[in-house]
Amino acid sequence: MPDGFSRRGRGRPSASLIAGAAIVGVLLATVALAHVLAPYPFDQFHIHDRFSPPSLKYLAGTDEYGRDVFSRVLIGSQLSMTLGLVSTIICMGLGVPIGLLCGSVRGLADELVMRLLDLLMAFPPILLVLLILVVTPPGLLKTSVAIGILFIAPVARLARSLTLDLMNAGFTEAARARGEYLWYLLLCEFLPNMWPTLLVEASLRLVFAVLMGAVLSFLSFGVQPPASDWGLMISGGRAFVDNAPWIALAPGIAMAITVIGISLLGDGLRDRLHPQFSGKG
Amino acid sequence: MIATPALPPGLLGIDDLSIGYGGGQMRGLAVRDVSLRLAPGGALGIVGESGSGKTSVALAILGLLGPAAEMRGLIAFEGQVLAAPPSKAMAPRQHRALLGRRIGTVFQDPFSALNPSRRVGVQIAEPMRHHLRVGRADALARTLRLLAEMGFDHPQDIARCYPHQLSGGMQQRAAIAAALSCQPSLLILDEPTTALDVTVEAQILALLAGVRRRHGMALFVISHNLRVIEALCDDVCVMYAGMIVERGPVARVFRDPGHPYTIGLLGSRPRISAPARARLPAIPGYGQGAAREETGCVFARRCTMREGACDGEQAPVRAVDPDHLVLCWKHPARPQADRPALPPSLRDAGRVHEQLVVAAGLSKSYGRSAAAAVDGVSFTIAEGEILGLVGESGCGKSTLGRLVLGLAAANAGSVRFAGSDIGMLKDGALRGFRREAQLIFQNTSSALNPRHTIGRALARPLQLFEMVPPSLRSQRVRELLGMVQLPSDYAFRYPHELSGGERQRVAIARALATEPRFIVCDEPVSALDVSVQAAILNLLADLRDTQGVGYLFISHDLAAVGQIADRIAVMYRGKICEIGETFQILGAPQNAYTKTLVASGRQDVLF
Repeated sequence: MPDGFSRRGRGRPSASLIAGAAIVGVLLATVALAHVLAPYPFDQFHIHDRFSPPSLKYLAGTDEYGRDVFSRVLIGSQLSMTLGLVSTIICMGLGVPIGLLCGSVRGLADELVMRLLDLLMAFPPILLVLLILVVTPPGLLKTSVAIGILFIAPVARLARSLTLDLMNAGFTEAARARGEYLWYLLLCEFLPNMWPTLLVEASLRLVFAVLMGAVLSFLSFGVQPPASDWGLMISGGRAFVDNAPWIALAPGIAMAITVIGISLLGDGLRDRLHPQFSGKG
Repeated sequence: MIATPALPPGLLGIDDLSIGYGGGQMRGLAVRDVSLRLAPGGALGIVGESGSGKTSVALAILGLLGPAAEMRGLIAFEGQVLAAPPSKAMAPRQHRALLGRRIGTVFQDPFSALNPSRRVGVQIAEPMRHHLRVGRADALARTLRLLAEMGFDHPQDIARCYPHQLSGGMQQRAAIAAALSCQPSLLILDEPTTALDVTVEAQILALLAGVRRRHGMALFVISHNLRVIEALCDDVCVMYAGMIVERGPVARVFRDPGHPYTIGLLGSRPRISAPARARLPAIPGYGQGAAREETGCVFARRCTMREGACDGEQAPVRAVDPDHLVLCWKHPARPQADRPALPPSLRDAGRVHEQLVVAAGLSKSYGRSAAAAVDGVSFTIAEGEILGLVGESGCGKSTLGRLVLGLAAANAGSVRFAGSDIGMLKDGALRGFRREAQLIFQNTSSALNPRHTIGRALARPLQLFEMVPPSLRSQRVRELLGMVQLPSDYAFRYPHELSGGERQRVAIARALATEPRFIVCDEPVSALDVSVQAAILNLLADLRDTQGVGYLFISHDLAAVGQIADRIAVMYRGKICEIGETFQILGAPQNAYTKTLVASGRQDVLF
């Protein structure tokens, strides 16, 4: 909202923000350029080089069919990132408004919605997603949507508890005393105060979604072979972890870097968005 | 210890203390060349507005200045050098050992000073067990003795309580007991009664004076409240912009102030027996906080007696008599106390709506509790009238204020505003009521959204009610800031960059932005310095007389209510026990509770 009283340029960004942004930036570039960067197609067999350890020819070694693990990880990043982003957007995009409305309006509607979400949370998550996936043929987008819906409940609960807290604040009473519109209260007064926590939650959800996708692929309900989703690669490489650990290790390391980068970025942004923590310009 | 040749004599000595937070070249000094002496058993007060540097002095004694602070000068306590920068004379560990054992401290907010998860008795006994190595049984006996001395009838029960089970006044008494636990020779009191009710304040002040007499301990009192200094201290230092501008015995300084700032400070105190519709002589302008590098007197910018010499260089110290010193060129001349001219009152012109607000039989109870927070309250407020509402905390005043604005739903009764029942208002009419009836409330920490700049907070009501065209909005924001005596560049600040009193003034400006006809003020000035308080009270009174604004003015401060209210309602346990013209209630109270209240409120009118 342009009010002419904003203030920009608040000192140097923190180390975690820079590191997180750098990691996520490289990650996104990799996702976009995966096909260019990958030395081999993800499904090309090198029958003579099965189980080769990492070398200059195969940067992360090869798997049981002689496929280049490095290329598979690069190209798999597209699948894993799509899954993570789509499900995070779904769970945040639906969960936050639900939480805001329930926490501010209260009453019977709040009670009903929250009990419904309780019901959703009471199911073991894997079982619930399996339920959705079993009745229809598997696919990447469908997996993402299923995971996104599953994560609505915790996000909505978090947003609701933050809202309840803010409802007791003095500025909320001042807003009520001037008959403020609900949308302004929620979007312009509450949301900026919730951003820091929501950002961290979003980065967590993205990470959980990628992990959950891996679990589902592992259980062969998510992405199907020969696709090189990270979860699928880990599950496939599990059998050879004694002799050829790199098959499972490479996608594992990629996933760890993703998780760390996104978490750093979330933390850094939280501190940056907090007027009290950022430098007094 | 370093043997310093000229160690200040007495219990506590401070020589040429300067403290800066500016980094580097000691620019923007918060404290400038302050020297103090406190004899054993003496009582010294520092009075000044927020930002005058008084708290920095206390923190320096306690060794609690943050790492960003730079310090010059010498502080000595009981013949030991506490601090003589740049060499840290006393190691932090030794310094800490003195705190609690030889130096006791009482802070403003007793609830945050006490640990909420530990019993009160344990917290009082702990310092003596730690510092004095007293045995468990012995410590318990001493704790109970101390609690009894604090005026608790059943010390055993109190010792077993957790802090939240005690009222604010009881918590403060427990905090004082904890500070006294090791029989310190010096007690530092930082705004000891600011968070308390007026009746409780009187008790605490009497208690502290008694403790000093019985134990012969010295008091070092920091307060913006002249009443506290007067009740506790022998000597007083008046601080302005980091400098001591006047010092001397309390009786003489307060009766015959020499510095224009002290004169202004004393004059701007609200008076319980103020004539009707009077204004307070407020000090013009606002405090500049840390002294800037300007030539001339630090106070010159706001001084009503300013003349040529004042701009040249800092005024020299002049002695009114040997122990009464003033930092001013002009002494002993007295200024002409010109009272501001009163604007003509709409009320006197007879152009007012007699029944702006009519509350009838308002009741409210929370949950299933038998006792109602508000119990069958009725009153009327006319246009251009201020109804003061007094009573101790928890008597239902704040709930009543919210009922009147329709922010809480009443169980019974009705409120009519300008003729229409506010319970029946819908949509457009309700929005109109929200614009015309505003709330200024007490809680300063969350009153402003921490994510919005001050300018945005003030611009929103203007935008919501289309008070001014968008192009004039930022100009109006600056005007509103000026009305509450804040510089216009504050529009770009965030709430955490303001002091509590400044935030409260922004909240007041926000309520005034909609140009309301009726304002509920819930303790609007209790957090403010006297000089600012005077300006705000004058502003509210001006709006009453020129715009015909009606007020419900809720406060525990009888002097502020007596100063501004046309009529007063006294509330006790959810009911209004007495209501009438201000001079009647304060001059000839009928009700027994009103009599106690007025008696404790009157103690400050000693001269």
